[in-house]
Amino acid sequence: MPTRPPKKSQDSLSPTRRTFLKTVGVGAAAAGLVAPAPRPAEASILGPDAVPLPLRVNGVTQTVTVEPRVTLLRALRNHLGLTGAKEVCERGACGGCTVLFDGEPICSCLMLAVDAVGHEITTVEGLGTPEKLSPVQAAFVECDALQCGFCTPGFVVASTALLNKTPNPSLEEIKAGLAGNICRCGTYSRIFEAVQQAATRRG
Amino acid sequence: MAEQEAGSTTFQVKVGPAENPVTLEVHPAAGDLRPWDLDTRLRRVKSGHPRLEAPLKVTGQARYTYDVRLPGMLWAKMVRAPIPAGRIVRIDTAKAEQVTGVKAVWTTDAKLVRFAGQDIAAVAAVSQEIAEDAARLIEVQYDPTPFVTSLDEAMAPSAPLVFAEGQPPAPASAPRKGNVVGPLPPPTLGGARAGTRGDIEKGFAEADTIHEATYRLAVHTHAVLETHGVVAHWEGDQLTVYTSTQGVFMVRAALAEAFGLSRNKVRVISEHMGGGFGSKLYPSAVGSAFALVACRLARKTGAPVKLMLDRQEEQLCTGNAPGALMTVRLGAKRDGTLTAIHFRAHTEGGIGQSARTGGPAGNVYAQCPHVKLEEHDVFTNAGPTCALRAPGHPQGAFGLECAVDELAHRLDMDPLEFRRKNDTHPFRKTYYDVGAKAIGWERRNRVPGETPGPRKRGIGMAHGNWYVLVREAVAVEVRVHRDGSVELLHGAQDIGTGIRTALAMIAAEELGLRPADVTVHVGDTRFPPGPTSGGSVTTNSSGPAARLAAHEARTRIAELAAPLLKAPPEQLDFADGRIFVAADPGRSLTFREAAQKMPGEVIARLTDRKRQFEAVRQDLAATQFAEVEVDVETGVIRVLKMVGVSNCGIPINPLTAASQLIGAQIQGASWALFEHRTLDRNVGTMVNPNLEAYKLLGPADMFEAVPIFTDGPNAGNNTSATGMAEPVFVPTLAAVANAVYNATGVRLRQLPMTPDRVLAALAGAQRGTKS
Repeated sequence: MPTRPPKKSQDSLSPTRRTFLKTVGVGAAAAGLVAPAPRPAEASILGPDAVPLPLRVNGVTQTVTVEPRVTLLRALRNHLGLTGAKEVCERGACGGCTVLFDGEPICSCLMLAVDAVGHEITTVEGLGTPEKLSPVQAAFVECDALQCGFCTPGFVVASTALLNKTPNPSLEEIKAGLAGNICRCGTYSRIFEAVQQAATRRG
Repeated sequence: MAEQEAGSTTFQVKVGPAENPVTLEVHPAAGDLRPWDLDTRLRRVKSGHPRLEAPLKVTGQARYTYDVRLPGMLWAKMVRAPIPAGRIVRIDTAKAEQVTGVKAVWTTDAKLVRFAGQDIAAVAAVSQEIAEDAARLIEVQYDPTPFVTSLDEAMAPSAPLVFAEGQPPAPASAPRKGNVVGPLPPPTLGGARAGTRGDIEKGFAEADTIHEATYRLAVHTHAVLETHGVVAHWEGDQLTVYTSTQGVFMVRAALAEAFGLSRNKVRVISEHMGGGFGSKLYPSAVGSAFALVACRLARKTGAPVKLMLDRQEEQLCTGNAPGALMTVRLGAKRDGTLTAIHFRAHTEGGIGQSARTGGPAGNVYAQCPHVKLEEHDVFTNAGPTCALRAPGHPQGAFGLECAVDELAHRLDMDPLEFRRKNDTHPFRKTYYDVGAKAIGWERRNRVPGETPGPRKRGIGMAHGNWYVLVREAVAVEVRVHRDGSVELLHGAQDIGTGIRTALAMIAAEELGLRPADVTVHVGDTRFPPGPTSGGSVTTNSSGPAARLAAHEARTRIAELAAPLLKAPPEQLDFADGRIFVAADPGRSLTFREAAQKMPGEVIARLTDRKRQFEAVRQDLAATQFAEVEVDVETGVIRVLKMVGVSNCGIPINPLTAASQLIGAQIQGASWALFEHRTLDRNVGTMVNPNLEAYKLLGPADMFEAVPIFTDGPNAGNNTSATGMAEPVFVPTLAAVANAVYNATGVRLRQLPMTPDRVLAALAGAQRGTKS
């Protein structure tokens, strides 16, 4: 299941989240996630104005110029035009914004774009195209593992991450692996079938 | 039968349950087609087909309203009332307007606040973040007034009035006392809907056994994943609106009226939309005017404006399914014959008119002679209710079908046999055996709660009903191009049910092509009119028009092919991309070869839907079976399996129909076990306007889902299809509740059945036994 973003390493390009939060101040929702870590001496201060951030997404590095408080999700959607990941609950409760962060599924609404610098981001668009679907995407289509389709990109990414780690998951492992994602139309059993089918095909 | 209009046609068709079919004489309008029936050999329809738009959706390429981005577009953000009742003293937007990047503000004309979440103000700015910053700087001064947020308190004579006497939205014909309106007059929607009949006192006098109990359930929010929202764009006096809606034509009519525009100056687009369930049947939403606000901000700034609600707003002001307090009194003879149904309900409408919950009590047991329905709306200072997937019926079926279960036990009868005895519905008659077999009905506890140990399993069932509803004023255009490619244009929006694919399958059936050969364009007011998608109407409203349009194109293509095949056009058949002489399939050519003979570049056929005609049934029936496991030490209930049995006439696409049935089971189990809009009674605001504390059933809670559609065309239109999304949802709550009773031997009459309530009920039953 998608998790909260991992803690930042101290030697990365960008300042720690703590630093710029101190500097510019953001909403309470984001502040709740901040670990009370001391400010490293070498940290620089970014913002509050927009800063250029090189993001490596789907194998291509592109520079977005955003305020440091902009989330990875909004940078992808509003600045890189990658609208597959959706903002649904805005706080990591639904998995609609799931992307891969160095191969790990994360909720991109809970990560700042600045914290993604230096890491490999993969979105649903990077997994396949309508003309060349990934095995997971093809299985979702064939098993009708979608209705309105709004949660689907998140489930496709989470399912891909699950199969990368557990190539032949049991039904219980699939349920646990997708437990961070929500679908309102009610497609779960179809999604489980799709994951099983994709596992067989990839097998 | 009434006298037939001039020009109508007569057909004898074999329809009804496949195992017990009937010959029905139908009289479609002139020019309509013989309806598909049990003898029709269907090549594409009735075979499951993946949805055509799925490759776009699984790759993130499908463009929802939420994904629309236009050049120079501004972002808007609304401000909502944080108090449940009061007067608006002052709205100060000065600080917000000074923020760099803010382009326009909007403030409400309303003087009163009636629920926490009401529209107050909005701001449009160059970025989403700046709009959010500026919205926080808008200062509003309120003068709070007394409020009431709980159903029980609102019913008290001394409760603060949500609406002053004589104010809307109470229907003028219903009596009103304080916040309570009713008994309500019979509903007008749903032609086949029955209600109060006979003499209720006589019915109870004839009964040997009477059961009466009170049932209640919480408000359920639609919690659609794509929040409500629009992108509004003016080009001169031409308004284009992208919106997440269940009815593009309905939105267009409302916006044209609001801005004094003729309808040809307004275009509404909903290419893909992320869930509605009844909440997107409004120009904006039932508790907000955001679309009008966005259009005004766009006109003021001269730039496109995007206004999507955030999750909190979505949970507050876009509607909900009302909670209800229902007292059900049933009478039956010793042999199980139902003699009387008295159904009294008070539903929690917030500031809106609530859904009537008496539909199941009035209709499921149609042969019960004495029925009395008394339905009441109760106003509270909370977000207004609106349609949700068979409005009022899941709630009403929860009350009715739990009561029926209790009555059966009181008579020492198998609840399934009790229902069968009181049932004459031709489709439902087959559900009992099919469903009982699939769930393993014989595995249920003969004595409820008899399973030893702390984890007790049980099986229950319930019925639900809905109505055959149709929108006849729709049309479809089919275009066959010279290169043999086919397009189908229809304005109806795909709300996640897969209407694109159903229409492609119907056209492919007529034209002898594959569904993927037909490119379907939907969700745009520039296309021929489609229905607003609510009430299970879309497939059986739009499908027959698609069949007619495709058939007319086929007729023209057959005329082109006939000279080449040296046979009269009416002797030609179409299949697998070929046109051939029916009696001599070796004489054939391809569809494309025939199309290349057309004199121009395209054969286009725009066809109106013909009127509905005779059908086996004017109502829809569904039955759900559930198996649960209840941990009596923790109070946690798990649904293990659900079996849904229904009939939708000819299922155009059985794959997507089954997906909807499964979805209904999940949404129902979720309401039965988890979903509970919680209002803080002291401050009158919603405690859980989010997706972590307003809990939806998730993958970890998922059960084995078995969807079954029985074979049986209904006639009524040339596809013999009916709707299906609503009836399958209706019995889900009661089925789960009845299974919990079978597991534990303790009746829970309140939803959701959260662990605290389960433990309290078990403890209460234990005290009752000891005393």
